[in-house]
Amino acid sequence: MAVQLPEMNLVLLSPEILLSLVAMGLLLMSAWSGKESRGLIGTMALSGIVLAAVVLAGLSSATPSATMGGHFIDDRLARAMKWLLLIATALPLLMSREYLNQHGLDSGEYYVLTITSLIGAMAMVSAGSFLLLYLGLELMSLSIYVLAAYQRDQLQSTEAGLKYFILGSLASGILLYGTSLVYGATGTTLFTAVANAIKTAEHVSPVLVLGAVLVIIGISFKVAAAPFHMWAPDVYEGAPTSVTAFIAVMPKVAAFTAFFRVLLEAFSALHVHWAPMLQLLAVLTLAVGSLGAIAQSNIKRLLAYSSIGHVGFLLIGLTTGSQLGHQSVVFYLANYIFMSVGAFCLVLVLNRQGIGDQISDYAGLAKKRPLLAFLMSMFMFSMAGIPPLAGFIAKLYVLMAAVKAGLLTLAVISVIFAAIGAFYYLRIVKIIYFDVAEQPFDMEVSLSHQIVLAISALIVLVVGIFPGKLLDWSLASVQSLL
Amino acid sequence: MSKYLLIVLAPLFGSMIAGFFGRLLGNRLASLVTIAGMSVSALLAIITFFEIAVGNGDPVRQEVWSWIVSGEFRVSFGLLIDRLTAVMLIVVSGISTLIHIYSMGYMAEDPDQPRFFSYLSLFTFAMLMLVTGDSFLQLFFGWEGVGLASYLLIGFWFKKESACNAAIKAFLVNRVGDFGFALGIFTIYQVFHTLDYATVFRMAGTGQYPQTVDFLFWGPVHTMTLICLLLFIGAMGKSAQFILHTWLPDAMEGPTPVSALIHAATMVTAGVFMVCRASPLFELSETALTVVTVIGAITAFFAATVGLVQNDIKRVIAYSTCSQLGYMFFAAGVSAYSAAIFHLMTHAFFKALLFLSAGAVIHSMHHEQDMRKMGGLRKKIPITYTVMMIGTLALTGFPFLAGFYSKDAILEAAYAAHSTAGTFAWTLGMIGAVLTTFYSFRLIFMTFHGRPADHHSYDHAHESPWVMLGPLMVLAVGALFAGMLGESMTHLGWFKSAIFLAPGHDAMEHAHHVSAWVKWSPFLMFLIGLGMAWLLYVRMPELPGIIAGHYRATHRFLLNAWYFDRLYDRLFVQPAKLIGEGLWLTGDAKIVDGCVNGVANLCQRWAEQLRSLQTGYVYHYAFAMLIGVLVLMSLYT
Amino acid sequence: MLENYFPILLLLAVALATAVVMMAGSFLVGPKRNYAEKVAQYECGFAPLSRVRLPFDVRFYLLSILFVVFDIEAAFLFPWAVAFKDIGLTGLVEMLLFLMVLLVGYAYIWKKGALEWE
Repeated sequence: MAVQLPEMNLVLLSPEILLSLVAMGLLLMSAWSGKESRGLIGTMALSGIVLAAVVLAGLSSATPSATMGGHFIDDRLARAMKWLLLIATALPLLMSREYLNQHGLDSGEYYVLTITSLIGAMAMVSAGSFLLLYLGLELMSLSIYVLAAYQRDQLQSTEAGLKYFILGSLASGILLYGTSLVYGATGTTLFTAVANAIKTAEHVSPVLVLGAVLVIIGISFKVAAAPFHMWAPDVYEGAPTSVTAFIAVMPKVAAFTAFFRVLLEAFSALHVHWAPMLQLLAVLTLAVGSLGAIAQSNIKRLLAYSSIGHVGFLLIGLTTGSQLGHQSVVFYLANYIFMSVGAFCLVLVLNRQGIGDQISDYAGLAKKRPLLAFLMSMFMFSMAGIPPLAGFIAKLYVLMAAVKAGLLTLAVISVIFAAIGAFYYLRIVKIIYFDVAEQPFDMEVSLSHQIVLAISALIVLVVGIFPGKLLDWSLASVQSLL
Repeated sequence: MSKYLLIVLAPLFGSMIAGFFGRLLGNRLASLVTIAGMSVSALLAIITFFEIAVGNGDPVRQEVWSWIVSGEFRVSFGLLIDRLTAVMLIVVSGISTLIHIYSMGYMAEDPDQPRFFSYLSLFTFAMLMLVTGDSFLQLFFGWEGVGLASYLLIGFWFKKESACNAAIKAFLVNRVGDFGFALGIFTIYQVFHTLDYATVFRMAGTGQYPQTVDFLFWGPVHTMTLICLLLFIGAMGKSAQFILHTWLPDAMEGPTPVSALIHAATMVTAGVFMVCRASPLFELSETALTVVTVIGAITAFFAATVGLVQNDIKRVIAYSTCSQLGYMFFAAGVSAYSAAIFHLMTHAFFKALLFLSAGAVIHSMHHEQDMRKMGGLRKKIPITYTVMMIGTLALTGFPFLAGFYSKDAILEAAYAAHSTAGTFAWTLGMIGAVLTTFYSFRLIFMTFHGRPADHHSYDHAHESPWVMLGPLMVLAVGALFAGMLGESMTHLGWFKSAIFLAPGHDAMEHAHHVSAWVKWSPFLMFLIGLGMAWLLYVRMPELPGIIAGHYRATHRFLLNAWYFDRLYDRLFVQPAKLIGEGLWLTGDAKIVDGCVNGVANLCQRWAEQLRSLQTGYVYHYAFAMLIGVLVLMSLYT
Repeated sequence: MLENYFPILLLLAVALATAVVMMAGSFLVGPKRNYAEKVAQYECGFAPLSRVRLPFDVRFYLLSILFVVFDIEAAFLFPWAVAFKDIGLTGLVEMLLFLMVLLVGYAYIWKKGALEWE
């Protein structure tokens, strides 16, 4: 009996294949080469990402297609999200190299793990089945757990890594259990087949719904939605700052794409079941994000809560179930990358001279370094959603989608929490501009930091004023959904 | 970049360079940069004028860039250059360039020159934006831009308290107008679902819009009347028309070149321009046109009466400006848009000339503005005297100078309109013409003739440098010939599609055929005014004092500009202050602060509680997660 | 679909019941007479030298993880070997790729010294 093997269009996987080869090569290199070639490994890792971007750009225009028996999907959404993932990996990597160097973290494995997590994330966004989704998620997560604990001689870092690992495994278990329930109810793991099975079934089986709920919970953990957020502040604070910058953005992009795939491709018929649940999660997340940040004195913890708040907004966009909502999610994600990377880059810049991570350490920054202070305020204002910055348009579109979908209460709640959230962003600005300087702030801003800051600031500003192109791009990327 | 775009952007570049790198460049270089930008703009504006207005070229429409395009929501910026715009371009760019040059002399001793020139160029950019826009949104953009620049420039000497107050007053009064204007634009969008001129006008012309709309609490109102009146409220604010005029005289606190450029030649005419640009809408509402006519006529008369008794040389010209703007509006009100624009153009020349000459007088008198302390200056500053005389003659309508053509065209049109409002306007306009001549020559006589009142400053009076006199002469040439050269503008159909006339609105057509006495009566008014001024201020200089003594109440009434400022103070400012104070002390300090602080404290407390949940123990976290899982499972399956 | 799982459920129930019955039975029926020697840890008949809950050397964990990795390799190899005739060359190439990836990791841990006890 000859088994019919599914066709394999490896071209569609070429960015992932390329990155895998780079990761393996770098792994061997980091084992065999000495300390002197560490800089080279970092450069090669970055070049590898750039090369993957080139390959991604070189792929012929995306007509939605699936390969590997439907497990791997290549469509506009996947392409768009891969771009975001590459950016969300490259920028943190670019700005981390000096930090790694100073803290003795720049061994080759750091880069290898970064790239493997990127591969996992890319697999997630292309996932056409729960199987690949889970595999990608695990590859991404396991790499990141290790990265979080990378500063082995620091208790905080190892603690962060361990916490992340234990809670992450729990979440993975829940996700896997949900997946198995879905498989049990429908007999397949392919998203499209699951959707078909739901449509053709006379009634929705409770097992299926339970599975869906568990799957959503599993992914919610990855985006740090409340009440599955508790790991985030500790991990953000404990992990090396370069890793924090990375895990603040990259996994979110992947996880929200996973949400798209699961909710809209597999469970679109269950909208009535998951929409209220996501709304509840969104409200909780917004509340935790905006209230939690108020009491923080550590900038990394604060940014952790800030990212939780952003996730709340993203969830709102997701629950609308409308194209406008999906567009707003992609748009928000794209802007979030740059706001967050910019803010973390400033934390890195200002952190280098032994100034702690405390917010009060930034007192009087404006007098000594007006440009840095201005940039920090700009990112804070953008995160708070104040026009004419990108964050404002992003929030505006989410709210527009919510209102159009009739989720008026949700929109009002989110605005209230956004206003509360604005408080702590503005508090940072106030400290920067009006408090008396205690630190000398005489650090130099290296070229790579200048580049990252310039890119993020430019995007935040330009998108805030001319959002048209990015909005179009976001719309195009979600058109294949629904 | 197309040359049309460069006309608009060149001043912006100049402004940005002077503004951001002013300290680096120094005073001289900063001013030269902006002048260079302006010259480019002016040169291209002249070329454009010859292409479109003289050379009979077709209107140009260009989409410059799309600002926001997403789905059906679309905002783009474009240029629309037809003959109306071409005239405005040459007025704005040309006069602005001259005033930039003049300012090099006038502001020579000011330490903040880069800032000044930057603002001046920024203003020009906004004004050009306003006149070249192809949609109401862009019009609004420019409208607010010029308002901002005006605010900045009135308060340029921000250390002077009166300047700051004047700036704030101008801003606030304009805000009232802008509120109406914005509402008008909103209504347009609501009715037509676009702000694009071409589309709006086409739909208006073919009647593709609801005839009535609900506005706020008022039941169905006539759509066009509503839109036009709201727009006109904006024009009243910007062009200092009766009721909203109070800011203009105070705006004279700014440097004189600013008064000349913004508060005489260009910005204040934006309202007139807007009404003409929106002629396809205004033509559809008789009510709105009547309101425009009446308000314009009242302003023309009212401001002229106030101008009679002012002693500050700049205030006289300011009220004169206000009055002349009234003329333009009632011209537009009787559908004589071309006459309005024609007068707008000639007025820009001679009024800028008058202001700049007044500036030269002030400059030579070491910043003395009170005419009672001047006198006999004609021997000391003959060139200034000559050009100012030309300006005055042009304003008062001396035959074959600029004002003669344009003002007469307006009065004839008002007469020929044969409507109640038209006749009303014509009557007030005629009286206004006498008053105009009177106060203009009163200014000339008090300043340049008679005996010097203050010998010290008289002895130190000196002619201004050439960098100031040069622009004056250019403007004088304009004041001499602009009327003659531009008269063809008033011919029917010169503006082509830029101006729309409803059937039956043929005042302009009839204006060319009115009887001779109507044509020559303005000249008669000129003679009467001149004679009275001569009698009172040259022949018998003690007479004005006697008259003022006799009619003390009337004099005070006029001197205080009909007590409008005091009225507004009682009616709005004081109550607003009282309400504000009340709100502040009870509403804000107690209720709002109480609530806000309460909410803030509440948030803080929640935050603390949330923080106490964040124990740092993995098993607590895992426990919380599992609770979450259980709750969600039980809720949603 | 779900009814296919019924035997499993039955099995679970029987297993659970058996355990509960046995434990409950011995707990209820058996005599309880405790003294020091009886409750002491059993260590080949002599007194315990140290506490039982010794931390394992971390190297055991490392080794066991490596064992798991290659165990899984074997777990993959068996079904592949069974189906080898049917999947042919493609299957061979795929498995070789898989082994190659593992080989890279193997080379890495070897070089890093994870396979040496000291």
